[in-house]
Amino acid sequence: MDHPATDLEACAQEPIHIPGAIQPHGVLFVLRPPHMAVVQASQNAERFLGQPVQYGEPPRRRLDPILPKIAAWHGSSEPTFQMPLTNEQVTVSAHRSGRSIILEIEEASYPPLDDLLPKLRSFGQILAGQSDIAGSMAACARFIAQLTGFDRVLVYRFDKDWNGHVVAEHGNGKLPSYLDLRFPAKDIPAQARALYAANPIRIIPNASYQPVPIEPSVDPEHGKPLDLSNAQLRSVSPVHLEYMRNMGTAASMSVSIMVNGTLWGLVSCHSANPHMVSAPIRDACDFVVQSLAIRIAAQAHSDDSARRVELGRVTAQLLASMTTEASWLEGLVGDGEALLAQVGASGAAIVAEDAYLTTGSVPREEEVRELVEWLRAQGEAELFSTASLAQHLPGSGRFADVAAGVIAARISELHSSWLIWFRPEVVRTVQWGGDPHKEVREEGRIHPRKSFDAWREQVRLTALEWTGAELAAARDLRTAIVGIVLRKAEELASLSAELQRSNKELEAFSYSVSHDLRAPFRHIVGFAQLLRERESDMDPKSLHYLNTISESALAAGRLVDDLLNFSQLGRTSITYKNVDMNKLVAEVLRSVMLTNEGRNIDWKIADLPPAWGDATLLRQVWFNLIENAVKYTRPRETAHITVSGNGSDSATTYTVSDDGVGFDMTYSGKLFGVFQRLQRQEDFEGTGIGLALVRRIIERHNGTITATGEVDKGASFTFELPTVQPKGHAFA
Amino acid sequence: MPLPELRPILLVEDSPRDLELTLAALEKCQLANEIIIARDGAEAVDYLFSTGAHSGRNGGDPTVVLLDLKLPKVDGLEVLERVKKDEKLRHIPIVMLTSSREEQDLVRSYELGVNAFVVKPVEFNEFFKAIQDLGVFWALLNEPPPGYRGQGAG
Repeated sequence: MDHPATDLEACAQEPIHIPGAIQPHGVLFVLRPPHMAVVQASQNAERFLGQPVQYGEPPRRRLDPILPKIAAWHGSSEPTFQMPLTNEQVTVSAHRSGRSIILEIEEASYPPLDDLLPKLRSFGQILAGQSDIAGSMAACARFIAQLTGFDRVLVYRFDKDWNGHVVAEHGNGKLPSYLDLRFPAKDIPAQARALYAANPIRIIPNASYQPVPIEPSVDPEHGKPLDLSNAQLRSVSPVHLEYMRNMGTAASMSVSIMVNGTLWGLVSCHSANPHMVSAPIRDACDFVVQSLAIRIAAQAHSDDSARRVELGRVTAQLLASMTTEASWLEGLVGDGEALLAQVGASGAAIVAEDAYLTTGSVPREEEVRELVEWLRAQGEAELFSTASLAQHLPGSGRFADVAAGVIAARISELHSSWLIWFRPEVVRTVQWGGDPHKEVREEGRIHPRKSFDAWREQVRLTALEWTGAELAAARDLRTAIVGIVLRKAEELASLSAELQRSNKELEAFSYSVSHDLRAPFRHIVGFAQLLRERESDMDPKSLHYLNTISESALAAGRLVDDLLNFSQLGRTSITYKNVDMNKLVAEVLRSVMLTNEGRNIDWKIADLPPAWGDATLLRQVWFNLIENAVKYTRPRETAHITVSGNGSDSATTYTVSDDGVGFDMTYSGKLFGVFQRLQRQEDFEGTGIGLALVRRIIERHNGTITATGEVDKGASFTFELPTVQPKGHAFA
Repeated sequence: MPLPELRPILLVEDSPRDLELTLAALEKCQLANEIIIARDGAEAVDYLFSTGAHSGRNGGDPTVVLLDLKLPKVDGLEVLERVKKDEKLRHIPIVMLTSSREEQDLVRSYELGVNAFVVKPVEFNEFFKAIQDLGVFWALLNEPPPGYRGQGAG
């Protein structure tokens, strides 16, 4: 939950580590080594010493027995000093503060401590017997309540926004139960949390205490107020005392739960009446809570490890699917269950350059693309995750029912390609300890709220938080995908290099054919001609033989030319343009009729829609089809040839029909094959490559060609071209 | 205008059959020009640059070079390149004769500055006509540029 900033957070500005006063249940001295001269002292020091404080001198008489021990500790590396004052109900503790020593003396009665160790040992056994964190926390709360005599002990856990959540509680019924209530982050402001992290245990025996000032208020040497961050007796903020009174508690103690070096939570103890706990018991509490913290860290670590192992297995399974399928994308989505299990999601989408694939429940495509646009605008991050997308992307709340939580992994550097997992909104009811949104203002002052009754709030547009293990799994899969994509790209590159080489070989072959195969035919034709010219009186039979030699060689030469033309077509690149088919047909018609003078043809040429293709190649199509129509209508006195065309949104079709010799539909399958001829050579000349060439051109344009015919009635050829060049295929 | 001195035609052809056919075609044109034959690219280069076997040869530069594309030793494109890169020889017209219908040869030849490019037709009549046209055009009709070596001085 995001809370609006309130003036109550002004108390976050309060310098609580330098209050200039202590709580009245002890006495404080600031000593300057090595002579242990008193620099500052709390106002109640005189009463404790039984004589006025002599500044600049060691604190005399009552503290005499312990001063040498303090000097010895100060020379050691121990962080703190603690010792009972012999024969007195007093505990002395000390810690360093700059060049000074802060000495704190608590007048508290020592209970018999003989049974403390057995108690701690039995707590250790109880803790070891707990199978989960919840049990450990409950045991800890119960044990601390018994040890300290507080009316209520709470285990309080911070969420990532520092809101507190009461996750375990033990109480004797004198104070209301706060179990499962939440407390807004501002209840414990940032600088208080910093103190809690530095100094693990605090006690306020009586919330109605009168602070005891420290005199002088600043260190005379450097003029700065005394830093009480680590002092047990530090006087707390008046706002905090008011907060405690509003809560109905007169005494409190809290112990920090530090897990992996960060403040995980608190054990927070309260009593309805003033209540003091001696320093040794407080130390025991510190020990108990540290044990709990170790337990929490171990449990979290083991949960995390188990989850990581499980997710790692899922990653391996996904990788296997990705590498065995033809396309890694299909492999990934094909194993949709594993893909979702990878991070515990309920839906996933892959948005790549030319692909959009989904599995499970996902938002609509345009909503996913909107998210991708937003992700792209965010810049560099490889992985983005949130449990509440609505907080980042305004308007995304409308598809929170499938995608309140999101992990987005960028899977390509070049294109904006993303693998995105979704989790649905989980509407939760959160119980706050009082209405956290409510401010109390009077006389210009901000007061903490007075009611801590459960205040229910529904949390919307939020999914379950992604765990560290799940995010790590997402990151792992992303790394694997990027690796696979890279490897596939390399494979493609090597394949394309191989293709290029084999293409080169083919080119070299056809180059050689073009030179060496044509030459002999040319020679045959040439020498036959020379011979014919030389032998002018050749007999008709010899002349016929000679002409046959010549014609055969000529035909073979043409065949070579046609074949080369056909093979070249596979290599030529297609230059797409808008082609005016009317112009092409008119030009082809003139060209065909040049060699067919004297033919009587009734042309019916309709207005043709423009085509999208390569003008040179399409001219070849028209030429071959029209030349065929003219050729195969040769027996007709007057031939009828029709050229027509039709355009639609996706394709244009063109038809050439004639009333010539036609063909038997039985053989229509052979019509477009190389070297396939349905007519006898002596009736109609040709190499049998023309229609194969036509089909090849049309197919290279991603079009189709069909033919219908009837023997002696005519033939009709129709080809269809797509209106735009199709782009890469999209997945459904 | 004085009648230009008759300078030779250089025919570079390795195939004896093509050579014979080309000579027959040129004969039909009844050109008075001497026809000098080179059988490979190296020989053609020697003749054009007056080096090797042709060092100190007589006569000026040819009026036209009919150059086959595929040649042993130094191929036609290389001969073309060397002639067209030479300050003194670059004005000699070069006609590429080839069996090849390959676009790459055509493109390369024009890049190197060929004057004409003829794909030898299979049909002999067409071939004759092409050779005759070329011979007549380059040997008789084409006026060489001023200062052209071989005109007069040699």
